[in-house]
Amino acid sequence: MKLLDKYNRVNIAVTVVIMLVTGIIYYYTISHILTGQIDKDLVLEEDEVFSYVNRNHRLPDVYESNHQQIYFTALGDKRIKRRFLDTVYRDAVEKDLEAGRALISTVNVSGKNYRILVTQSKVETEDLIRIIFMITICVIVTLLVILIVLNRVILKSIWKPFYKILNQLKEFSLAAAANITSTPSQIDEFNELDKAVITMAERVKTDYQNLKAFTENASHELMTPISVINSKLDTLVQTGEFSDKQSKLLNDIYGTVTRLTRLNKSMLLLAKIENRLIDDDQEIEIKEVLEECLYQYEEMILQLNIQLNTSFQDKKLRTSKSLLEILLNNLISNAIRHNYQNGKLTLNLTPESLTVSNTGNGIFDFGQVLKRFHKSDRSEGIGLGLTLCKQICDNYGYKLNYRYIDDLHTFTVSF
Amino acid sequence: VKILIVEDETGLRESIEAYFTGSDSICETASDFTSALVKVSLYRYDCIILDLTLPQGNGLEIVRHLKTNRHNDGILIISAKNSLDDKLTGLDLGADDYLTKPFHLSELKSRVMAIVRRKSFNGNDILKFNEIDVDLTAKTVSVNQQPVKFTRKEFSLLLYFIANQGKVVSKSAIAEHLWGDSIDIADNFDFIYSHIKNVRKKLIEAGGNDYIQAAYGMGYKFSEA
Repeated sequence: MKLLDKYNRVNIAVTVVIMLVTGIIYYYTISHILTGQIDKDLVLEEDEVFSYVNRNHRLPDVYESNHQQIYFTALGDKRIKRRFLDTVYRDAVEKDLEAGRALISTVNVSGKNYRILVTQSKVETEDLIRIIFMITICVIVTLLVILIVLNRVILKSIWKPFYKILNQLKEFSLAAAANITSTPSQIDEFNELDKAVITMAERVKTDYQNLKAFTENASHELMTPISVINSKLDTLVQTGEFSDKQSKLLNDIYGTVTRLTRLNKSMLLLAKIENRLIDDDQEIEIKEVLEECLYQYEEMILQLNIQLNTSFQDKKLRTSKSLLEILLNNLISNAIRHNYQNGKLTLNLTPESLTVSNTGNGIFDFGQVLKRFHKSDRSEGIGLGLTLCKQICDNYGYKLNYRYIDDLHTFTVSF
Repeated sequence: VKILIVEDETGLRESIEAYFTGSDSICETASDFTSALVKVSLYRYDCIILDLTLPQGNGLEIVRHLKTNRHNDGILIISAKNSLDDKLTGLDLGADDYLTKPFHLSELKSRVMAIVRRKSFNGNDILKFNEIDVDLTAKTVSVNQQPVKFTRKEFSLLLYFIANQGKVVSKSAIAEHLWGDSIDIADNFDFIYSHIKNVRKKLIEAGGNDYIQAAYGMGYKFSEA
């Protein structure tokens, strides 16, 4: 739920309850006051009857004034308790029943008791209450509407900087060049948030840059000792006879140094691609690069007896040749290395996309594979291949997709 | 063949020197910018192996110096910086080739020999080794004047061996030379054997000698007898 809605909901619920409670209290208070007023009128009438009886020693004539009626009934020796009561009032003119208030009392005229019943219509009182009630309702409704609209408008404009900051945070990317820009606001909290977000973004970016620079520098620095080891090994093998045991050891060292070199080169390359330091962009016919790449793998394809199907249409791309080679090399080498004897490999190049699909063992989680240094148990690679592919595709705005359909692992690069 | 090695990393400089000295090559070394500049000003070399990051200066300045003085020495840049800018600037300035560290000494030798050949043969692009003639332009091989059909990889392999004759060339180096460094080398060890077997077979069938020997299971050696 949005803060605005939540706030409005609570606000309005509380307002309505309070208004209703006050309305009810209001109603009863006014009703009580007005009934008191009528009761006074009734007492006045009673007093008039008493004074008339005192003066004339007989009952007054029964008359009917506006909204007031009076009746006398002989009681004999009994007396009845004086009381007020709510009753109905029969309007003689309009001949209908109205709500009324009555006073029952007793008067003694020359030793005989009479019951006095004075009734007064409450129509006017009720009309008054109704009007007051209507006005109150109107006020409540108007207040509510104004409250909702005002809340909405004010809150919207007040929260604008917040949403702007939020949007910037959503779009924040470490790799992107754009920074988070300042969002000035008249509200201290938002200004503080803005400052905190900007500081955080800058700090994170700096840290990330440092880390990337470190990776690149570390890989660079490692190259020199690796090349010394490499050259010393090359020199060592020239020195003469080796026993089987020694040559096995030397072979292992060679293999390890080669792996170390590849690992280091891949890391350096990844750092460079991320920093967009490779910019030897040129027009390249993809078909040619693909054919060269397949030539590199011809022995493996032959050995595994892989059925190779290719369909290449002309497609030129403006891109880095070295990166395109790495991308295609990795895709094809994966497709061959994870293939099985007598498997299939299909390469399809159209002006829109390149598809590499191959038979292979097992299904894998594409998301996992994209992580650095992830590799399957059987893989002899260094686990950076697909990470490199993804990074290259990201840099040039290509899409790299993976699907597993009909026992075929299918990678698609959409240009 | 006279070669100058300009490299500040002692270990690497010594290895290169040891690998290149002998047979028909003479090596000189320089470990910093100034001494390298002095040497290239005083003497001429068939090929200069030049590291770019040197104490006291940038190796590219040496390339510039050689070119402004119209010296025709072959130049091979070796650099740990696999930076394309350096590579392009170096080649633009007139360097003949560029090799990124780390490299195999056999690869370096094969590149240097290619430069030396280009500089000295002047258009006559036939490389002779006893009864074997390699036409570098047409990329053909003949033994005893009889043409022998070589595939692209076999041709490249033969040339690599001739450049490194008398040396043990490791399988890693061969794999890297044939398939490039973007390909996982261990995958290809089995194929090296079959390519070498083919080269040997073709040379022997055409009446040539068997020059290639396996060396302690680590690599191969191309040498006379």
